[in-house]
Amino acid sequence: MTETRQYGDLATQLVTESRRSTATDTLLKYNDPLVRSIIREQRQLEQMISSTLLASEDPEFDGNNPSLLIYQTAILRNKRCLLAYHSHRTDRLRDMYWAVGGALPHLLSDQDIRGKLSPHEVDFLKQYNSAVMDFRSEFSDELDITASIVQPPKDLHVLVRVIRDCGVIQTELGTIDFKKGQRFMVRRADIEHLIVQGYLEEV
Amino acid sequence: MEFETGEETKLQELIRHWMNERHAPDILPAQSTLLGRLLDHIRKQNDTVQLLRADPDSSEDEHFRIMLAQTEIERVKFIVRSYVRTRLYKIEKYARYVVANPEIQERLSATELEHAKKFAHLMESHFHRTVLQSLPEEQRGLADEVVFMPPMIPEPDKTRSVFALARTQCPPVRLPDGSTSEMEKGQIALTPYYVVEQLLARGEVELV
Repeated sequence: MTETRQYGDLATQLVTESRRSTATDTLLKYNDPLVRSIIREQRQLEQMISSTLLASEDPEFDGNNPSLLIYQTAILRNKRCLLAYHSHRTDRLRDMYWAVGGALPHLLSDQDIRGKLSPHEVDFLKQYNSAVMDFRSEFSDELDITASIVQPPKDLHVLVRVIRDCGVIQTELGTIDFKKGQRFMVRRADIEHLIVQGYLEEV
Repeated sequence: MEFETGEETKLQELIRHWMNERHAPDILPAQSTLLGRLLDHIRKQNDTVQLLRADPDSSEDEHFRIMLAQTEIERVKFIVRSYVRTRLYKIEKYARYVVANPEIQERLSATELEHAKKFAHLMESHFHRTVLQSLPEEQRGLADEVVFMPPMIPEPDKTRSVFALARTQCPPVRLPDGSTSEMEKGQIALTPYYVVEQLLARGEVELV
């Protein structure tokens, strides 16, 4: 079977991937080969435009050339799809960043996630993190704007179970050494970030 | 929170702005003064709580009241945080629009504007590194304006519908079909955002 392919088919695949990512609520692996082939297609299209333009310098040419319009449309569409794919990914990355309360090292040390990112995306997250940290530092110590905003606090204290060792933490009751399997009644504000990052679990 | 202005406490005012911000498609004016006063108040309350907790003479009853105050502080902080984050979300979403429009910049605090600029720059350089720099030179622009295609810079959609609740008797507003409409106090209307934009700015309606 010979593969017949139109201009724009690859870009459709790329956008379908974004849609799938939204539908299943997962981050898919960065599709570097596909992005590269679309960029190759863009260069091809640009060359075809230039050669068509050269041909149209022929004195007998009547200025009527629909193929130019088709190339141009394909170029614009491909470019839109490429940008949409990357912007969709950065949106997802930002969501993931906020979901762990802005704990970037926690996010980047996860091998599963790390494997799905392109090197540029890792840079993006690092720079984004530093911008958010600057923004956060404008507020007083009292208010950590990266803390969770999903559930309004009902109680001051919360009973937690330790899932993973997380070392000695400074709390209202003094320092506590959280060891796996132990349970503690602690002030929510002191340890909320540990719940978000999956070290502790509410009982 | 004990201080009051008119019938609305500072906290109620914040809650109103928080709701408005969450419902409005556009970025509303920053409430820096209000936010600053509430944060100051939180800090003072917190200091008082620490002082009372450390005092061995405070009674059982007082300890109970301290706990209530602490819970209340946490809840106020939650609203402040949600308010700040809602704005941050919109600011990032429309960052490139914000950078290009001095009119909307006036509605941002200095910190927010700084963040918008940084974020817009970050997005542009990310696009450049991942896509644009590999494309032929003619295709590298980020602001193509093509007929029949949506603009490259997302803008707030002011035609989005919102529920507006009249807080007082409102002056008449012009509806999209040319007729005018007046809202009585307590009346709720479903309208496109731009119809009630001015009423909202003057605090005559709130979004619910």
